Amino acid sequence: MTNLIELQNITRLYRSDEVETTALHNISLHIKRGEFVAIMGPSGCGKSTLLNILGTIDRPTAGAYLFDGADLAKMSEKNLAKHRARHLGFIFQSFNLVDDLTIYENIELGLLYRGGIKGGRRQAIEGAMDKVGIAHRARHFPHQLSGGQQQRAAIARAIVGQPDLILADEPTGNLDTENGAQVMEILKSLNKAGATIIMVTHSQSHADQASRQVDILDGQLVASVAQVL
Amino acid sequence: MLRSAFTAFFRSFIRHPLYALLNLLGLSFGIAVFITLSLFYRFETSYENWSPERPHIYEMGTRYHFPGMTEDVFMSAMGGLTEEIKTAYPQIESTRDWSNPVIVHKGAEVYNEQIELVDGNFLTFFGVPMLYGDAATALADPSKVVLSVSMARKYFGTVNAVGRIMTLNDEEGLKTYTVSAIIADLPKNTDTKLDMLRLLTPQRTAMEPYTWHNWGSGQLEAYFRFKTPADASAFARQLPAFTDRQIGQKFGTDVTPHKILELVLVPWADKHLIDPKLKAAIISLGVVGIVALVLALINYVNLATARAGLRAREVAVRKTLGAPPATLRLQFLVEALLTMLLAFLVALSLVELSLPLINSAGGLFLKLDYQTDITWLLSVLGIVLAAGLLAALYPAFALAAFKPAQVLASSRTPGGGRMAGFLRVGLAMVQFAAVAVAFVLIMGFMLQIQHIQNADIGFQRDNLMIVQSIRDNAVSQAQRESFIAAARTLPGVSHAAIANAIPGDQSTSNSSNIVRPGQVDSPTLSPTVNWSIVGEDYFQLLGAKVLVGRVFDAQRGEDQKWADDGAGDKSRVYSVVISRRAAKDMGFASPQAALNQPARFNDHQVRIIGVVEDMRFYNPNQPIPPKLYLFDVHASYAVVGMVRYQGLSEPKMREQLRKLWRQIAPDVPFDVTSAADNLDTYYKPERDRTHLFTIGAGIAALIGCIGLYGMAAFNTGRRVREIGVRKVLGASAGQVVGLLLVQFLLPVALASLIAWPLGWLALQRWLMQFDDAIAMPLWIFPVASVVALLIALVTVAGVAFGAARTEPGKALRHE
Repeated sequence: MTNLIELQNITRLYRSDEVETTALHNISLHIKRGEFVAIMGPSGCGKSTLLNILGTIDRPTAGAYLFDGADLAKMSEKNLAKHRARHLGFIFQSFNLVDDLTIYENIELGLLYRGGIKGGRRQAIEGAMDKVGIAHRARHFPHQLSGGQQQRAAIARAIVGQPDLILADEPTGNLDTENGAQVMEILKSLNKAGATIIMVTHSQSHADQASRQVDILDGQLVASVAQVL
Repeated sequence: MLRSAFTAFFRSFIRHPLYALLNLLGLSFGIAVFITLSLFYRFETSYENWSPERPHIYEMGTRYHFPGMTEDVFMSAMGGLTEEIKTAYPQIESTRDWSNPVIVHKGAEVYNEQIELVDGNFLTFFGVPMLYGDAATALADPSKVVLSVSMARKYFGTVNAVGRIMTLNDEEGLKTYTVSAIIADLPKNTDTKLDMLRLLTPQRTAMEPYTWHNWGSGQLEAYFRFKTPADASAFARQLPAFTDRQIGQKFGTDVTPHKILELVLVPWADKHLIDPKLKAAIISLGVVGIVALVLALINYVNLATARAGLRAREVAVRKTLGAPPATLRLQFLVEALLTMLLAFLVALSLVELSLPLINSAGGLFLKLDYQTDITWLLSVLGIVLAAGLLAALYPAFALAAFKPAQVLASSRTPGGGRMAGFLRVGLAMVQFAAVAVAFVLIMGFMLQIQHIQNADIGFQRDNLMIVQSIRDNAVSQAQRESFIAAARTLPGVSHAAIANAIPGDQSTSNSSNIVRPGQVDSPTLSPTVNWSIVGEDYFQLLGAKVLVGRVFDAQRGEDQKWADDGAGDKSRVYSVVISRRAAKDMGFASPQAALNQPARFNDHQVRIIGVVEDMRFYNPNQPIPPKLYLFDVHASYAVVGMVRYQGLSEPKMREQLRKLWRQIAPDVPFDVTSAADNLDTYYKPERDRTHLFTIGAGIAALIGCIGLYGMAAFNTGRRVREIGVRKVLGASAGQVVGLLLVQFLLPVALASLIAWPLGWLALQRWLMQFDDAIAMPLWIFPVASVVALLIALVTVAGVAFGAARTEPGKALRHE
């Protein structure tokens, strides 16, 4: 399989008035198309920063980020926005659904900035809702749903545009065991269907379900182990 | 994309009703004040718009450069002026309008009206809107009369009264006239009263031998029409030389006439606001409208940036989903435009609902006509949308600039950084400074208005009736005298007198030089006094204060003035009474010093037999003129009657006088006013404008409170977690409330300090226009600040108490 992502010596520094913090130091990482990578590490180790850089909502201080061969580090904000719309899907720990929009409209947001989609918008949304089993809640508002349902809706929003890469930041962190397991099942089935997934997690049992586990400690890559599922 | 913006806009109304309501109400109130005051401004600045010829028409005014006289332009001209101009400049197009009283006979009934004696070209000159009849020929014949629609309805019960006969009694006597044309009623914003018109005839002109070509007199309105403003300027440049040629040496050998009597060609469109004080007042109200709109927009910016923080997460999510910043900015601008549009519609409804109230409070005739005003309304909408868009730029850019990684990583609502925090506090301060200035001005205005209404004006204005009918030409001298004599015997009447010096009536105003022995006799150097002829009992009736000497006595022959026909004895010395101001202008060190002093006045020798206190008969904005009184025991001149009464109501007194009038002069309509009502015509415009200002400023204050409430709610929302932490650490609810109140009220208190100098300057400027102004009341400044603070306190107290009562556990879970 070809490399979808190549990170070369990625460093991210945060500077405030007097303090300089190194969030990531010299990280190099290759991820192939169709991989399901779990990123693990203690709180504050830089997992989320790495995921944000992969998601292009944060820029590395140094290093190169190649996505499907294209160098993203040099891309303009406008083109990065286009890149996110076309190629990426995000899933957050706290769901981040827009309160004022219905579930259907929230999922539609995933297509809003993307441009055309094969088979039409409505079918794509309905298809995404069916995949995560949330179709019956289409007209509800986020606050009317349980946490598990909200996260499933958020997953539908992430996959509706058929992205090349799904980035999940502790997707089960706010859920109980049962709902967490459901979400993991959905992610695995998406991966089976061909999606590349990068997931940050604290849960070893969830990380074990990925095809590769990457460990980070104090901003540095300490292990990258392929797992037999 | 747009659909998403519409959805977000609609949902935010449904889901955040308080925020939406605050935002919408604040904006709507601001826009409503802006629309109303724009309507007012348009009304006041579009006088005479009824005439298609308005831009080409100029009116001749006169400015007199005499010692002691104001430099105001009097909008009246000598009767024969246009005739003299026509001889010198035949190409200049002109017309005249001379308002005269007329009695209309309708069966056995008689009515007082005003008739315009005009030149034959009057209707075409102005392009007067005609309903029936031909403008070119309607006034060709002296037996014709032209009526307005209202007059036609009043006297004939129909609009088309062409060909009907009317019996009129004016200076030319009782005659019948044929109605030749009907003109439309003019709109309210005109100073031109066209109810009834007929031709100005040589017969009528001949009845004014002394004044018609007497330079310095002013009877009527003279209009000129020019193709271009350049033509008008060219003509205006020739007026000084023309004036000098026409007057020659009539004003004396050592004077240049145009330096005393200056003809001023005033664009007709500028006539209504020719008084700079009135113009300033109209502009100030326009400024209040703009300030209200700006305050409302500040509110919008404040609430929108505050809410931007709450929407940060949405923005971050949209950004991670690939929304480019430009698209997000567009979305927020579209939301802003929709909000403005909705607020504009609400504002229009508010205006419609409040116009009757505003009209009655401000003495106005404002109305919104969606058919004729559509262009105007659209331009107001354009201004509001453009201003709104400008105001929305900041929140739109601030929102679109949020960094998604930071927002998503933080559980705290971003406030837009230190910059946005300063901006919010700064804007709230501007708002409250404006509110405090408004309070200072409202209090200052009210104190001044109250002062001029209750001030000692030198005479007792209450319980004083003015019988106008006495000066009607149809009333004989015998009738006048018998009416006054009989009035004195009516129950409740303490005094009755005749005079042509009447409170609140400047229609008979004469000014002449007065020269003391040894002083230079020159129109430009000698003091000028305003003089009036008064009858017996005049000063006693007014309750005038005699400072020194005595007032006129019917028993003393020397008090009687000279005869008007020039047959008076020039070797005799006549008695005059002068006012304190006249004594001062004449150079006397004190009223005492003026007593028994001789002077030359209107070609006669006079002696000052007494000095009375100044009496304010006219506009409180203008200085009391120096006054000289002549005595006429006979009611021989154009005078009115005055009746002082006690112990009965005004309507009862009116009724008594009416009955008496019916017995003495049944053919002349009875017309009586009260001195208080007469004077009120000077006080009312100021009072009305103060009402308008108060309403505008009050709403501005309300908008300020809405803004403060919004800011308080937002800041408290952001600090819920902090409040929780403080409470866990042992802070009491009272301490939390104190903390929050200090945070909210500090900007308000600081704003007051900015407001003081601004309010002081504005009030000082306004007070300067009054001749009799109050001293700057310093106490209103702290009071305005305290009131602003109290309002702010009440506004934010609810929010602060609510926040302080939150359980800490709940507060810490708050996200």
